[in-house]
Amino acid sequence: MTTTGSITSSRSLSYIALFAALMAVFGLIPKVDLPFGVPITLQSLGVMLAGCLLGPKRGFFAIALFLLAVALGLPLLPGGRGGLAVFVAPAGGFLFGWMFGAFTCGLLMRRMAGATGKGLLAAAFLSSVVGGIVVVYAFGIVGLSLVAHMSLSQAALAMLIFVPGDLIKCGICAMLVQTVMRGMPSWRLDRD
Amino acid sequence: MPAWAKLAILSVCGTLLVLVDRPIHLGLACAVVLLLFASLGRTAWRRVRMLGGIAIACALIVGFHGFLGSTPLGVASALRLASAAMLALMLTLTTRFEDLLIVLETVMQPLRRFGVPTERIALGIGLMLRFAENFYVQWQRLDDAYRARAGHGGGLRLLAPLTIRTLQTAERVADALAARLGR
Repeated sequence: MTTTGSITSSRSLSYIALFAALMAVFGLIPKVDLPFGVPITLQSLGVMLAGCLLGPKRGFFAIALFLLAVALGLPLLPGGRGGLAVFVAPAGGFLFGWMFGAFTCGLLMRRMAGATGKGLLAAAFLSSVVGGIVVVYAFGIVGLSLVAHMSLSQAALAMLIFVPGDLIKCGICAMLVQTVMRGMPSWRLDRD
Repeated sequence: MPAWAKLAILSVCGTLLVLVDRPIHLGLACAVVLLLFASLGRTAWRRVRMLGGIAIACALIVGFHGFLGSTPLGVASALRLASAAMLALMLTLTTRFEDLLIVLETVMQPLRRFGVPTERIALGIGLMLRFAENFYVQWQRLDDAYRARAGHGGGLRLLAPLTIRTLQTAERVADALAARLGR
């Protein structure tokens, strides 16, 4: 029963703002450490979820709104970081990648919106791997190589350590999308 | 100094930092920025730990390039990163959030002609902050309830109910906003 109008409608604004808020809350939830010492922050999960559940455009704007608040100085990233400094940091490329990652997630999810059951699980997992890992890391690697003057392959190698954690997040995202579709059958995945 | 002037200076300095690549020049720039930062006084120094992550990153970059035998390049990158981060932190420390938001709205004013509803940015940020607080409370309630049932915190298990509650709230707020704003 959720009918949404154009991307600039007040209805869309509500979804965009509330997903941006979810990103902020994911930054507040204490981070979980993997056995081998790599911290998992939930915010990249928020990126995948925003893309999968809101669709490409709204997902993109939700992350953009969140990053705008961070850039204006609100301490919303894990550990209370914020301000323009985080965008010039070595991991700043990831932040830009988040927006396009959410967009890609949404684009793919919308293509496979008809899937149900295990198919839906697979579709959401595939969307989050491509959007949340491939696209986000592409931006992150370019960012790191620019800031640290490394070659692209060196930067990519340095990032490999985070991939296992992010794969787990893709799995969590897929399960969440499936749970949401069970719990809220009225939610539609085929919106733009 | 007004917020727009600080932003303008920051973007000019940022561009200059990218254009310069001699370590000696970057070192000078970094020293000047450090002096400026010190001039902010004790309140600013208390927030200097926000630069801790940047310091670690700088050390890693120098170490990496030292390992490959290209130390000057590493020092230059680290100095550039440290200067840019300090400049940005100075802006964040000395400018109020609202002032920056006003600058942003003014800069984006011309976009209105192309149908971009720029006045909604402030509304969006306001909504986001209000609901971030709301969702955090909801998450804590879910965690308390789980703790009462199971004896330990729920952790990642609570993500599904939290997400569903978020979406339900989003639908209600969307209805309310549509009713008040008209479309």
